[in-house]
Amino acid sequence: MKQWQAQNLLSQARSFFWAIPAVVWQILLLYIPLVFVLLHSFVDTESQFTLAHYAALFDATHFIILARSLALAATTAIICLIVAYPVAYFLSFYVSRLKNVLLFFLIIPFWTSLLVQLYAWFTILDKHGFLNIILQKLGILGEPYHLLNTPFAVYLVSIYCYIPFMIMPIYSILEKLDIRLREASLDLGATRWETFMRVTVPLSMPGIKTGFFLVFIPAFGEFVIPVLLGGGKQLYVGSLITHYFLVSRSSGLGAAFTWLSSMILIISTVVMQWLFVRVIMPRKTKRVGYEITK
Amino acid sequence: MKSPNKTAAYLFPCLVAAFYMFLYVPIIILIVSSFNASAYSYEWRGFSLTWYHQLWESVEVWEALRNSCIVATVSVVLSVILGLLFVIFSAGTWLDSLLLAFYGSLAAPEIVLAVGLLSFFTFFSVPLGLTTLIAGHTLIGLGYIVPLLHSRFHELNYALTEASLDLGADYRTTFFRIILPMLSPALVAGALLTFILSFDDFIISFFCTGGTTLTLPLYFFSVIRSGASPIINALSSIFLLVSSIVILLFSSLKIRKMDFF
Repeated sequence: MKQWQAQNLLSQARSFFWAIPAVVWQILLLYIPLVFVLLHSFVDTESQFTLAHYAALFDATHFIILARSLALAATTAIICLIVAYPVAYFLSFYVSRLKNVLLFFLIIPFWTSLLVQLYAWFTILDKHGFLNIILQKLGILGEPYHLLNTPFAVYLVSIYCYIPFMIMPIYSILEKLDIRLREASLDLGATRWETFMRVTVPLSMPGIKTGFFLVFIPAFGEFVIPVLLGGGKQLYVGSLITHYFLVSRSSGLGAAFTWLSSMILIISTVVMQWLFVRVIMPRKTKRVGYEITK
Repeated sequence: MKSPNKTAAYLFPCLVAAFYMFLYVPIIILIVSSFNASAYSYEWRGFSLTWYHQLWESVEVWEALRNSCIVATVSVVLSVILGLLFVIFSAGTWLDSLLLAFYGSLAAPEIVLAVGLLSFFTFFSVPLGLTTLIAGHTLIGLGYIVPLLHSRFHELNYALTEASLDLGADYRTTFFRIILPMLSPALVAGALLTFILSFDDFIISFFCTGGTTLTLPLYFFSVIRSGASPIINALSSIFLLVSSIVILLFSSLKIRKMDFF
């Protein structure tokens, strides 16, 4: 209460008028444009109301592209989680002296342009690249295989680029985790595996959730990776939106597709949120709670 | 900490080492290739600075660098000033609840923001270029800076503000002598973060420049698309060097990007 009053003093000093420009900026350039896009998707070239754009979206091609992006986003998020959790776990519980060094090397790619990270893979995946040379020397491949411009390259590089976004939130939760809870669990006779599954994992759920969405949402709309490493042959949501707006200039259709895919993204996010909260979380926390009261 | 059991003691370090290899082998190859005299990374023709020299001589790179620096600097200044004003003058008023409005630009995929901006600018026939780019990047910057500053501002020890006012300092003095110094780590951190985000951003720049203005990521994209050139190796290595320096600066401020999560 007192804090409110103290902070308040400053805003009483002048009017709250000065707080408004930032809000206006956000509303003018984020929320109003989104409404614009929505209106645009219902209007044809003669400014008449139409549902034609949405009708045009209901065909197999668009659904395949949406499904492809959903698959990419979900697979990337799940694989990132599987790889990231042990790394975050190791960094928070098993390392002490080298911790800052290891974190430093984890954060560098995180702070470097996506294009740099992506480009690093070109020399490896190229037809004459290192992966082909190694596979040939090992006798696995007879002749060089074009690894660029394949879905494999898109998946691999997506995982590579998004993995720090999964490690960071999980690590920051695990690092703050009260170590006494794990010790209590071990003392009370639980095995290491039980402690991990019933104490550590449920307590780190917020981090897992944050990481999952930090990977899932941008991966769904990803444009650069599919275009540069997928060769643009297989369209994803991001590349199709860009195509509609910047190449074919059919912005009405593009607007409709942007809204359709945003809706699908929101629905899938809500469904996954529900899965996290209702299905995965309570079962384990209930068990922990039950055992504590027993 | 209890001593880890045998499997964990050996398996874990191996897994993590493998992970770091996965993370760094491409980057190391990239850096080594940038010093390779040959244009093909799979054959080593000796150490050379040819690509760095070519990068230095390239007109496009300098133009892109200049644009990127202008856009990033202006967006940082705008987002810091607007963000600071919002956080300070909204405290304790109804405007404080509008903090939520700033999370929108973080929650939506960047391509959606880019589409929105493009439609908005074309509707009002705003010419695409540096100005529109700055507008877009400030939007992103505010999304990061406002929540960061807001949380720091409300963590401040209110007693110090009160003491200063009690002891006869006016609001202006209290702001510049007490509040601003206490907020400065968060301000520097937010500014660095916005700078990097703007400097690295591709999608918003791709939509908001309409092909009129070249920034570094756009230059990168066009070169990679038209068949990779070893100059890009050199440029990437410089990027990596710069971001490592920024992180070192950042960690000395004890504020990490992960604070946002």
